[in-house]
Amino acid sequence: MGLVLAGAAWMAPFPAWAQASPPGPHADAAFDLMNLLTQHDLHDIRSESWNAYGQVTYISSWKFPFSAAYTNLDGSMRSLKPDAEQSFTVSFTLFFGARLWHGGEAYFVPEVISERGLSNLNGLGGSIQNFELQKTGTEVPSLYRSRFYLRQNFDLGGSPVVKESDPMQLGTTVDSRRVVLTAGTFTTLDIFDRNNVAGDPRKGFLNMAFMTHSSWDFAADARGYSLGGAAELYWDDWALRFGRMAPPLHPNTLPIDPNLSQVYADSLELEHDHVLFGQPGAVRLLGYRNHEVTGRFADAIATFQADATKNAAACPVTVYNYGSGNVTAPDLCWVRKPNTKVGVGVNLEQYATKDIGAFFRAMYSDGQTEVDAFNSADRDMSFGVLAKGAPWKRPFDVAGAGIGASWISSIHAQYLAMGGVDGFVGDGRLRQAAETVIDVFYSFNLLKAIWLTADYQHIWNPGFNADRGPVDIVTGRVHAEF
Amino acid sequence: MRSSRVRTRLTVALAALAAAAVVTWPPRACAQQTAQGFALDRLYRSGPGAGWFVMDTLDMHGGLGGVMGLTAGYAHDPLRIRTTDGSQQLAVVSDEAMADVGFAATYDRYRLYLGFEMPLDVSGQGGAIGNYRFTAPNSGQPFTPSGVNPSTAPDTIADARLGLDARILGGPRSPFRLGASAQLYVTSPNETRAEYETDGTVRAMGRLLFAGNVGMFGYAGHVGVHVRPLDDAPTPGSPQGSELLFGVAAGPRLPLGKEGAMALVVGPELFGETAFRSFFGSATGVEGLLSGRVEGTADDGAQLRVKLGIGAGLDARFGVPEWRAIVGIELFDRGGRKALIRP
Repeated sequence: MGLVLAGAAWMAPFPAWAQASPPGPHADAAFDLMNLLTQHDLHDIRSESWNAYGQVTYISSWKFPFSAAYTNLDGSMRSLKPDAEQSFTVSFTLFFGARLWHGGEAYFVPEVISERGLSNLNGLGGSIQNFELQKTGTEVPSLYRSRFYLRQNFDLGGSPVVKESDPMQLGTTVDSRRVVLTAGTFTTLDIFDRNNVAGDPRKGFLNMAFMTHSSWDFAADARGYSLGGAAELYWDDWALRFGRMAPPLHPNTLPIDPNLSQVYADSLELEHDHVLFGQPGAVRLLGYRNHEVTGRFADAIATFQADATKNAAACPVTVYNYGSGNVTAPDLCWVRKPNTKVGVGVNLEQYATKDIGAFFRAMYSDGQTEVDAFNSADRDMSFGVLAKGAPWKRPFDVAGAGIGASWISSIHAQYLAMGGVDGFVGDGRLRQAAETVIDVFYSFNLLKAIWLTADYQHIWNPGFNADRGPVDIVTGRVHAEF
Repeated sequence: MRSSRVRTRLTVALAALAAAAVVTWPPRACAQQTAQGFALDRLYRSGPGAGWFVMDTLDMHGGLGGVMGLTAGYAHDPLRIRTTDGSQQLAVVSDEAMADVGFAATYDRYRLYLGFEMPLDVSGQGGAIGNYRFTAPNSGQPFTPSGVNPSTAPDTIADARLGLDARILGGPRSPFRLGASAQLYVTSPNETRAEYETDGTVRAMGRLLFAGNVGMFGYAGHVGVHVRPLDDAPTPGSPQGSELLFGVAAGPRLPLGKEGAMALVVGPELFGETAFRSFFGSATGVEGLLSGRVEGTADDGAQLRVKLGIGAGLDARFGVPEWRAIVGIELFDRGGRKALIRP
């Protein structure tokens, strides 16, 4: 049945109706509006007809000066600057949910963000230091609707599963065997590649390498959202998911191309939940296939080698390009056309005790085409351990340590070595290496609603370039939920 | 001799001064000026759960209730600029489609709500009329080498609206009810006036509301002030500052279904606004809307309200379309089953 639904979703174009990271669950004892209403007998939090939540997060990062053999060589312009820099994001989000009919739910999530990235978000390929940063963000706050979608649940039997009231989740009880259809505007990460241990990045790891696979170029606009649909089949401990989402009109830009029959990003995920030594865990296998208007690195190189006038600095103003000034480099602007990108990945999570868990992600993408929506990596691996503070009498505190590494393909490296740029990296030259980050943090909870976080990151080979770095970044975060 | 020299020097100095004045004096306003955009839509929607599209039934009651509503509308030719003799005209905004998502909490006689206006499509034609050049909306480039033009963002929220309505006199079904309403429009900082979706400033409204039910007949109306800091006078077809708001609506309420579980309300809404600086002059708009709605009548549990309105502008001022269609769907719970907690 899941395959039938998946097939139907594959074939049918979805209607063009339109932090990329989903929020984590609220603790029952959290101080928030819905719990407050419930305590005054004004709301049924177990069987909700509506709910409303909110969050505000301020993140400030300081990057220390680092050594670099060169920066923005020959007019390429995607280097992380070696000077000291400060970056910040402020986000404010409201989460509204309403039950429309039996099994039918609607969600609307307006959001405001203000930000300043390090080096205008240039120079880090798979381990951007703050997951909240958006490609079009500015210091002038932007108000937008991040999510606006419908979800329909069809119960098919099995045992009851309690869904707690949370942002983008009405409190209800569903069957362990069910089909869930979602359509509208949301982020692919609301449905796919969830990880209970890594959880909500607004309370966990700050580096984007731990939010999802660095090399998964899932379709999204420049903020991380897109329109499309997904079908999920839950069958006790198993889950099968399929989704089709719309890519951006041009790589890494805000407008999306809603023509889902022509350009699209398909994702297929199989999940199995298990209990190992009395503790829960999960295994997820993810495959994706994108058919989007992008440039192939090999095509760009061949075009430049055949005609040197077709270089990065000569991109016509009428053609989408990144604005590189390097006359000796190839550029993707000359060769964009519908291309296919594929990748496969694994996502593991396992609790060792009730309060300590570990996760592991790894993905291999073909690496033949440019980044269209997420970041520049072609392969990735990440591993992390998180611990809640119950053992030291602070149950709402969270501490974590993790390591993430990402790589690029040999043809991607050749393109960058010739001075080419993509959406995020391109120093003008390259000595290829894995971009690797370690991220260590502690989140201190106040009043069950506010988290103060101190975070340290050490990044080797920024931009996949062994001639630059390493980079040290310290970050402070204030996060509140209500 | 000496006086002649002095006169000569004085003449030279005056001539130099005159020449300098000619060179440095700014040219007269014969060059074309570029008109800027503004929040064009003048159908100022009532709060979610208010019943009518513009007026308010003022029937809030019971314990804590809630409303979630989606309104979508299309307006044709809401901004058509004409020369005074009518020889030239330009549909600067010929098509405007907007959606509004709103959420309200009701308690006793109060309604607190939050709404988000989202442009779906705003398009038109640029050109010159007289000394003014008008730029069509959606004419921004979708991308630049350094990023995208935020004004072409598909996920835009134009203005956010925070409102509070209260019934001051009368019960929820009294023949005469009097209420007050305050709304604050906060503009999205990333929105630009060029898209005709926002004024780029904070706006506010204060309204005196009245409504009532006599038998199966219901009526509602308002008079108020729209505090609008934007004053682009004398640019043709542009806001001229704060406005007086007025409007009435009336229609029968017909029971539907078993024991009147649903009700149909049909009737006209007539509403308008006029700028104080040209009272009932060039910045006055009046619009009529024939609206109908079907709504659940139960006091407890989730109820549905579906609304449809079709209307036309009664004059040709800015924001008043040639014709308009608007639909709304609301899910609401009047909160009647819940205990009313009084301090």
